[in-house]
Amino acid sequence: MKKYHLVRRPRQSLRRLLAYYLIGIIISLGIGAILLASLGINPFEYYGRMLTIGMIGNKYAYKNVEGFLKVLVPLLITSLALGLSFKMRFWNIGGEGEFLIGAISAAIVAFNVTGLPRPITIILMCVAAMLSSGLLGLAVAFFKVKFNTNETLVTLMLNYIMLYVITYLGKTKEDWNFFLDPKSARPIFGKFPDTGIMTGIKIGNFNLLWSVIIAIALIALIYVYLKYTKHGYEISVVGDSSATAKYAGMKVGKIIMRTMFISSALIGLAAGLTASSSGTISETITNNVGWTGIVVAWLGKLSVPAIAVTSVLIAILQFGCKTAATKYPSIDSNFADLLQGIILFSVLTADFVATFTLKKKEDAKNG
Amino acid sequence: MKKLVSLVLTMAFAVTACFSLSGCNKQPAASSDATSKAEETTAGSKETDAESKPAAGNFKVGAIYINSQNDTSGYTFAHHKGITDAMKEVGLDPAKDLYIVDNVPEDDEKVKQAIDQLAGDGCNIIFGISFGYINAMNEKATEYPDIIFSHATGYMSNDKNFNNYFGRIYQARYLAGIAAGYKSLALKNDNIGYVSAWGTEYAETCSGINGFALGARSVNPNAKIHVYEISTWGDQEKERQAAQVLIDTYKCCVIGQHCDSAQPQIVANEKGVFGCGYNSDMTNEAPKAHLTAAIWNWSAYYATAMKAAMTDKASFMTSVGNYYQGLNAGLVDVSPLSGNCEPETAEAIKIARDLMTSGKWDVFSGVKLSFSGAAGSVTAEQKSDALKTNKGEEKVAAGGASVGDDVIQGSMNYYVEGVTQVN
Repeated sequence: MKKYHLVRRPRQSLRRLLAYYLIGIIISLGIGAILLASLGINPFEYYGRMLTIGMIGNKYAYKNVEGFLKVLVPLLITSLALGLSFKMRFWNIGGEGEFLIGAISAAIVAFNVTGLPRPITIILMCVAAMLSSGLLGLAVAFFKVKFNTNETLVTLMLNYIMLYVITYLGKTKEDWNFFLDPKSARPIFGKFPDTGIMTGIKIGNFNLLWSVIIAIALIALIYVYLKYTKHGYEISVVGDSSATAKYAGMKVGKIIMRTMFISSALIGLAAGLTASSSGTISETITNNVGWTGIVVAWLGKLSVPAIAVTSVLIAILQFGCKTAATKYPSIDSNFADLLQGIILFSVLTADFVATFTLKKKEDAKNG
Repeated sequence: MKKLVSLVLTMAFAVTACFSLSGCNKQPAASSDATSKAEETTAGSKETDAESKPAAGNFKVGAIYINSQNDTSGYTFAHHKGITDAMKEVGLDPAKDLYIVDNVPEDDEKVKQAIDQLAGDGCNIIFGISFGYINAMNEKATEYPDIIFSHATGYMSNDKNFNNYFGRIYQARYLAGIAAGYKSLALKNDNIGYVSAWGTEYAETCSGINGFALGARSVNPNAKIHVYEISTWGDQEKERQAAQVLIDTYKCCVIGQHCDSAQPQIVANEKGVFGCGYNSDMTNEAPKAHLTAAIWNWSAYYATAMKAAMTDKASFMTSVGNYYQGLNAGLVDVSPLSGNCEPETAEAIKIARDLMTSGKWDVFSGVKLSFSGAAGSVTAEQKSDALKTNKGEEKVAAGGASVGDDVIQGSMNYYVEGVTQVN
């Protein structure tokens, strides 16, 4: 009997990888083009609009860059943070929940701490967000270390708990609920006082938010942390084999808890920055970065620079797909999501095919 | 490290490939310096030059939807139909002049992004159909003074370029209530059910319930309206269960509704009772049960707004202003009566409709209509009778004028006599 086996290619050739990605993207764009053409839409025009995030022919093109950056920053920070825990083989899929609790904490500060200068208020918001998210992550890690609970399940469930908490806050019209707009008879989230709303650096009309600068600084910081510090080394050893780490005298439990705290706190920071730049919170504030971040982290092979590049590409894809659809009343954002899915799937498939190969093997026993 | 470099290079290469791919192939259609050119000539007009209508000029309509324009029923569907119908009426082509951002949640940041996109694409008027868009639209109206912002179901406006619009759907509800009242008389069953998204917490739902109840009781003074609140604007399973409870437990013979899907009508159909739908004629979904539905005809407003914005944008807030119309403008109505209705229904509805369109009478006043007589000789008596809540509190004295529009739109938070909420 002949049997097929999946075998990891011994050596990744750069050229091969390039070719596979390219083929994957071309195929997916081709499928998309057929779909678009069948709906009577010129695919090249659509793709042009998509890849330039709708800036062609746009009266306020700089607004699209601003909007794009607002999508990018939380995705970038969250992906980097998730990458930290994944490197340790700690399956934190609780990005959504950690983001939400961070956003809620930031909003608590924004609504209640008034009278302080804007930068201080915003820093307090971010600190509150980082602490709350970090402690949530720490709790999960604690249970993992002490009782060997399954972190995947715990973080997953926490996502839903946090989602329902924020939904409750957004729908409950009561006197104590300072999150809501007091002027509206129907419950809607209120706007932060001015001191809680982030400004940026004005470059002409373009407003470069501080969060973008912080995100860029974080890329460098995390890169250095992982590459050149003792902590970074410990994380990679724990990720490779926790037995080895233990044998080398590392306190594995402590490393897991510390890293998970940092990872979640970073997601909290992303949430604090997002809440502050939006000037409000909502049930959809995460923009699904907790989920998309997982894809980005893995596509970036858990390497910091690659995650940064990947998150830019994914954000272009997300923002661009949605923007492109605006012009064509016959297609809605569901189509944009579909196209996005096809492209992502193709890239992941290309990655898989480039990494693994099928080998025929003679099996001496039975098949 | 090598792996990393390769990956970065790959990604970069892939993107350039995409750009150049779409760029090359675009050559015949549009020149590659589109970026600079497009500042003035928008992408859309490039291909429309041949057949463009000079009258409409470069007028573009933007819309922000809570669901998708490809829905086949429900709230967004009704608005999308209204916008596209209105565009055809005023000489615009929805395929080219309509820009839509759909599936926009009630999240300020996302609404603002949608507005930026529509503004950048050159829209002259932007409609936002969901209540929660209110703060974002209010803010952006100041930022883009050249664009008209129009917000459904809201309460904010400014005096230059931001209005709100809604309609007297309670008038249509009253007419549907008449159909339900006749049915309950004929079946000798005073129990009428009503599946509602929300109860007294929203004026929009409770004014609808009250209008329906007053309509039903104008025919059958003993009618009892049992309201089941499902606490969401739309959830097919909950809508279904609510209708089942109303029919099985409360023995209701007619099911009214204020929720997105036709499920309450479908349940009524299954259980052999009757019903009044909402938003669209639900006779197709419930052929044996459906009487008539309170419906919106949003194009009545959208056409008015587009015409005003196209002729003189500056005077929009005086020519249109905050828009609140009803049966008289054709903004609300009932769907054609189905064969399931009792014979007297059409005549009674006509009488009530005429009274409301002529402005002689309105639903929430101190005068109540009372219908009597067989088919062919239906008459309406106008009786002075106070408008009372179901707790006996008097809201309008006997013979008094209707409550203010601000009450109907904003502060109404009570049920009238004959209404009970069951959950």
